[in-house]
Amino acid sequence: MGIVGLVLGLLLIWGMGVAFVVALPRRSPLLPTAGGLAWTVGAGGFAGAFVATLWMRALSFSGVAFGLVAIFVPLLLLGAALAWVGLRRERPGLRRALRDAADSLRGLHLQGLARVLWLVLLAWLVLRFSLLFAEVAWKPLYPWDSWTQWGTKARVWYELGRLVPFEAPHIWLADNGASYFDAAPHYPGTVPLLQVFANVALGRWDDALMNAPFWMLAIALTCAVYGALRAWEFGPSGALIGAWLVASMPLANVHVALAGYADLPLAAFFTVAVLAGLRWLDSRESGDAVLAILLLAACPLIKVPGRVWLLTLVPGLVVAFLPRYGKKLVAAGFAAVLFALLVLARTNPVILNYRLHLDFAPEWGALADSYFLLGNWHLLWYGALAAALLGWRQLMSPRVAPLTMVIAAGGFFLFVVFAFTNARAWVADQTTVNRATLHLAPLVVVWMLVVFRAWVQDRRALEAEEHDPIAVRAM
Amino acid sequence: MRGIGAIVANELVVTDVDSNGQALIALASDLPARDYAAIAWDVRDVTAATDVRLVWRSDYAPQRVVSVPVRIESGRLLPVIVVKDPGWLGRVSGLALLIRGPLSQPIRIRGVTAKPMGALEMSGDRIREWSTFEAWTGSSINSVTGGADVQDLPLPLLLAVAGAATVGLVWALWRWRPRRRSSTLAWTIAVVFAASWALLDVRWLWNLARQTQATAAQYAGKDWREKHLAADDGPLFAFIEQVRTALPATPARVFVVSDAHYFRGRAAFHLYPHNVFFESSRNVMPPPADLRAGDWLLVYQRRGVQFDPSANRLRWDNVTPLSAQLKLTGAGAALFQIQ
Repeated sequence: MGIVGLVLGLLLIWGMGVAFVVALPRRSPLLPTAGGLAWTVGAGGFAGAFVATLWMRALSFSGVAFGLVAIFVPLLLLGAALAWVGLRRERPGLRRALRDAADSLRGLHLQGLARVLWLVLLAWLVLRFSLLFAEVAWKPLYPWDSWTQWGTKARVWYELGRLVPFEAPHIWLADNGASYFDAAPHYPGTVPLLQVFANVALGRWDDALMNAPFWMLAIALTCAVYGALRAWEFGPSGALIGAWLVASMPLANVHVALAGYADLPLAAFFTVAVLAGLRWLDSRESGDAVLAILLLAACPLIKVPGRVWLLTLVPGLVVAFLPRYGKKLVAAGFAAVLFALLVLARTNPVILNYRLHLDFAPEWGALADSYFLLGNWHLLWYGALAAALLGWRQLMSPRVAPLTMVIAAGGFFLFVVFAFTNARAWVADQTTVNRATLHLAPLVVVWMLVVFRAWVQDRRALEAEEHDPIAVRAM
Repeated sequence: MRGIGAIVANELVVTDVDSNGQALIALASDLPARDYAAIAWDVRDVTAATDVRLVWRSDYAPQRVVSVPVRIESGRLLPVIVVKDPGWLGRVSGLALLIRGPLSQPIRIRGVTAKPMGALEMSGDRIREWSTFEAWTGSSINSVTGGADVQDLPLPLLLAVAGAATVGLVWALWRWRPRRRSSTLAWTIAVVFAASWALLDVRWLWNLARQTQATAAQYAGKDWREKHLAADDGPLFAFIEQVRTALPATPARVFVVSDAHYFRGRAAFHLYPHNVFFESSRNVMPPPADLRAGDWLLVYQRRGVQFDPSANRLRWDNVTPLSAQLKLTGAGAALFQIQ
């Protein structure tokens, strides 16, 4: 099949995912809404990729070998069925949505310099993803863990045509060849399965091109962020700038160019899942909730820390569902955890032979280097700090609070890991600190923009009231 | 020069100190001290604990040798500001770098520059640091430096400070105006932030484009096999290709050993879907009890493994020799099958 097969394969799972999102139950059509098409395309990429890996797991469980027919035909049929279901609702608005999207892409909604900037930004994105694709296509698997613990599984599963277990050394030694071994046998299989999918589509093992799904997910994330910001009532230009900010973070780009680690897929799935959840809080459309749950379910199956990232949603859900007491509950929860950590840092308890003492010794200097001086994040953390300072009154406003809580819980998790555990060594040597931060970074971009926008809106409302108090009160 | 070293690819590689525990790299010079404010040695791979000093002598006091410590950051030497040193007078007739050992690794010296440290030159230095090509390395997946490894003024910091100053100025003016509109302030913040981000991104994309050019030069137009032969571990890949022909078609249990964990992991990766075992972090041989008849042992650049072909006996680390057959040999490499 070669490269044509790979392109068709990726289009198939992307298309199937789009059909999945369109087919999800909702009261009103999705595509004609602001950013609806971009959201569908973006979120669809993730839904399709994850459903494809679930199908491959099912095939392996059933004893059916991976192959073009076994993988692609059912996904094609599923995509067609889902499209049929979804288009019954979306068909009336589809033509208009496509026309609006085409007009938007050409910047017809803008004039003069604004239109030039819009087109420049789009060209900028195209250039970036072209360069990243060249790297993905040419460079064989390069970064360390990609060939000691991720690509290892992809190679074995592709060559054997099924999932076989990877086990710890003592089990492997006793297994007499029934299991396999690599540097991280317990790591989950979603990313290797996506690589297997690409190899099956290619028709051969190719440890460079098999990373094309990483590139696809990066584009899908960009589209999803654009769509989510449009739904948050950002204008097209604001939403495009937001998508460009997410797409341009250097460390995220590195994880596409030197694909093979699970950090970017985890970051992207988590981001789109949270955005789907926020859409659901706004719209109460059950389809958004289903999508959020599906993508959240993917997180622990991508990387083990995905389990912890799921927990960071709890404070967001608490403030969303308990508007009166939620903030106090979450504050009490954070305080209790912090108190427990400090107690463990000051004492040396032993329970069931487990030593629970924690050392509080954060590597502030190295952390500051990572976030503020090195080239990993451009100006993300300056912007996030500025947004928090500027919009501190808006952080806990009803619409922003759930996202603020997720960001706070995520930041708290990173702080605890890097300040209280041995992982501080990974801050000092600039290894895992940035990769762990990457899981939260795209969402921080969205949060920063949302807070800034809330601040601008509140300022405008305040000024309107100052200038014309009666009119504002009458509203 | 005192100490042990040699010129390798235009670099002076100092591998060890002399019997006094020092390495000295000296050169004659004729610098008017007042025209040069800093001395910058371009030196790599210096461990943080190394004692390094800049030494000079001038015609003002020819018998007096002045030395000052040199700071080390990320394995590099930072420029030494000498202009305020009371010994930096007259014409500097000799410059030297004094390194006190022992050295845990070779130190690479590329050269030394006397800098006037004028505004133009400092600006040029900073721009050079920001625009230095940052190629993919093993640590790229963990961190992006954003130009040269050592930077006196990182670009994100400069842009953040400049942006904050601009916004502060506009805010002060905005507060002073009688009918102020927050949209002015909001636009200023948004434009300054986006423009600064864009500038950083232009630098990053330019670096990425240069990297893509390098990647293309190494891999473009090659098929999968040719790419691996052209990769950093090409010789290992070529040997593994031979190993694969010696191994059975169905997956076999293969133990991979090497002194370098890079080679252990890479060899294993190239061997899958054979059922490979390798120690990812420790350089240890497998216990003989774990090896069974029919298992394979791949030795790649690993010291301490001995084979007696007359008796077909394989031994290492003083353990009881195993019965094995030598199936393949390569440069510093061998494939055995346990009997």
